[in-house]
Amino acid sequence: MKRRYLAMMGLLIIFAMVLAACGGGPATPAPAAPAQPAAQEATPTTAPAQQEAAPAAPAAEGVINLTWVGPGPGAEFELRKEQVERWNAANPDIQVRLIEGPVSATDRIGLYLQAFQAQSTDIDIMQIDVIWPGDLAEHLIDFYEYGAAEAVAGDFPAIVENNTVDGRLVGLPWFTDGGLLYYRTDLLEKYGFDGPPATWDELEQMAQTIQDGERAEGNQDFWGFVWQGAPYEGLTCDALEWIYSSGGGTIVSHDKVITINNDAAAAALDRAYGWIGKISPPGVTSFMEEESRRVWHGGNAAFMRNWPYAYGLSEGADSAVAGKFDATALPGAEPGMSAATLGGWQVGVSKYSRNPEAAAKLALWLTSVEEQKAQALAPSSLIPTKVELYSDPDIAAQRPFMPKLLPVFTSAVARPSTATAPQYNETSNVFFSNVFEVLTGRMSGADAVATIELDLQDLLGFEVGAP
Amino acid sequence: MAKEGSSDLAKREQRLAYWLLAPTFLILLVIAIYPLFSVFYNSFTNSVFASTAPTEFVGLQNYRGLLSMTIRQVPPRLDESGQPIVDPATGAVQYESAVTVLPREPVRFRPVTQFSLFGTQFVLGATDPNFIRAVWDTIVFAVATVFLELVLGMIVALIVNANFKGRGLMRAIILIPWAIPTAVSSQMWAYMLQPNRTGFFNTVFWYLGLGNGEIPFLSDPAWQLPSMIMIDVWKTTPFMALLLLAGLQLIPADIYEAADVDGAGPVRSFFQLTLPLLKGTIAVALVFRTLDALRVFDLFQIVLGQARYSMASFTYYQLIQNRAMGYSSASSVIIFVVLSVFAVAYMRSLGVKSDDH
Repeated sequence: MKRRYLAMMGLLIIFAMVLAACGGGPATPAPAAPAQPAAQEATPTTAPAQQEAAPAAPAAEGVINLTWVGPGPGAEFELRKEQVERWNAANPDIQVRLIEGPVSATDRIGLYLQAFQAQSTDIDIMQIDVIWPGDLAEHLIDFYEYGAAEAVAGDFPAIVENNTVDGRLVGLPWFTDGGLLYYRTDLLEKYGFDGPPATWDELEQMAQTIQDGERAEGNQDFWGFVWQGAPYEGLTCDALEWIYSSGGGTIVSHDKVITINNDAAAAALDRAYGWIGKISPPGVTSFMEEESRRVWHGGNAAFMRNWPYAYGLSEGADSAVAGKFDATALPGAEPGMSAATLGGWQVGVSKYSRNPEAAAKLALWLTSVEEQKAQALAPSSLIPTKVELYSDPDIAAQRPFMPKLLPVFTSAVARPSTATAPQYNETSNVFFSNVFEVLTGRMSGADAVATIELDLQDLLGFEVGAP
Repeated sequence: MAKEGSSDLAKREQRLAYWLLAPTFLILLVIAIYPLFSVFYNSFTNSVFASTAPTEFVGLQNYRGLLSMTIRQVPPRLDESGQPIVDPATGAVQYESAVTVLPREPVRFRPVTQFSLFGTQFVLGATDPNFIRAVWDTIVFAVATVFLELVLGMIVALIVNANFKGRGLMRAIILIPWAIPTAVSSQMWAYMLQPNRTGFFNTVFWYLGLGNGEIPFLSDPAWQLPSMIMIDVWKTTPFMALLLLAGLQLIPADIYEAADVDGAGPVRSFFQLTLPLLKGTIAVALVFRTLDALRVFDLFQIVLGQARYSMASFTYYQLIQNRAMGYSSASSVIIFVVLSVFAVAYMRSLGVKSDDH
């Protein structure tokens, strides 16, 4: 009797523990159609011009408070904080609170989804990765209803199209991104190279020469090439570049054919495995953007694959490489086969926000030409999505690489997020997990691409073909 | 007591007891039984997290996906004459790729691990190798951490149980690792385990001439679990020590005096007095720690992310990132079953002991 009671108690404790472990998520049964909050049914399109009554009085009455989930701690967050301060000073009727989001994009979408599942009003405005509009569309407002048609007329059409889901504009283009090769101009000169490498072979050779030379001179921590090798979305971006620039296709093609299983792709992965421990640190398999940038920033790498945000930071006063580096297109298997993965972020407003109009107004301000110019000139050096800024004299003077690399950004290779929607996240996970197996020596490139092909067939049910 | 109560008073008391229990029962219903039922229910559906997509009942499909396993023989790779190819450098026989021998229809099996038995190579395949690995890793983690924490915790408890100056202060100090929130200490350890000489361990090892200062503790599969175990042992040994200390203080001092008079040394009195008298406490501590270790989430999630899962971080990944609410519910139910097995096993042994006394 007593023992059974004890066992029952034990089971109950475990109940509680397991439930605590799975969080609040599963507690809600299958969601019915999300009822739109009543506050949102107010007529859109009319600009929020109701708060003109008391301009001087900072009365709490009638002030709209917005919550913005920003980037993770780092240079971009400082930029956003400065923007919010300017906005709050200029708009006493709409006060914005900026919260630090997770650094990893994977964690960030997790945070959004939890808020959406609960139809939470806690988040009003958020930043959306270029691969998310398809996945998140049902939870975001349509900016066309808030007068955005005019605003996006000057943006790159491809990005507007990417952000338009079933005719609804769910994200305002904010900044675009593409993978770049950063290189040390001083070291290339020192070791007698004319210019940055055009092929991966050249990169390997240059990296090895410079690394050997720098180590012989006593810098034990010097490495030839740093990049992003941790198992997360960033590895998908890096590996897509290796594969596409070797003629291995884009994992899944636009017309929904799984093209990953080919010799070029396998060879590209084997090549990357060969870098580790040779020209890239063994720890590169736990590097995200910031880890690789820190090695570069300290002057301990000859080459780095990274996004444009690293440019402004590398020019900073605390940087060991300021004035000694440049950025160019990544190498390819043959000259001219270079590829840059398309990145970039959009501003989205939650459908469950209590003040979608005010949030949309803030979103339009954030993505305006003036603010895009400011963030291009800030240390984060974010790439504008407004075409007119590429002929702006200030940008040409202070960020010369932007107009120079315009073709890289306009022809960047997109991840297969459209073809595989709404299963892009799992597609990417299958891809980077297997690439990670190659990088950690548990699988050959050929086995990995075969496994990815089979996994994607199971997941997506698409045909298989050559790239 | 009230069981054979035929008197009015007893009946009234019984009714009152039910009324007094009702609020507790209601709260349990809302916060424990309803969510639990919901998890069970969802585990039989293909429900998608944060989506309005319609949900269908899929029976046991989620469980089949998580648990299906198979073992296949891997044939050696043959050359033209039909002889197995041997690596000239290492003398090891080369085997076919495991992917080719695992079944693909109706569902595909992926390799989890390969092993050799009586000179034949086998591969263990599973439909979801990540989950099988997560279960195995979590159990290894739990057994290793609980064992190490018990041994080290016992040593610490015996030390701070002894009479010496500054004992109170010492007891407070040993609790520091336990007092730091896991999110903070995990991040701290992640920094110390950095894969280059910005990390504490790589720097120290490098000065000692161990390794090249570039040991990838958190991305090399061979180092991942040992690193996790080390962090958890550091963090949780104080808690174990505290539990054991509470037990030690219940043992009356005079029996040690008696043992001393009878000529038993400290080692003998530890094994013949302390340990038997501490059995109940140890059992309770083991139950607590094993169940806790099997549920480990924060440590794995923060330090390893998607590089390697524990059962709980796998469930989290499936729910939040993969949005597979049905699938993650099924894996929650399996965690629940694994924990129940451990719990019942412990309860049995604990029960036997409490009957003895």
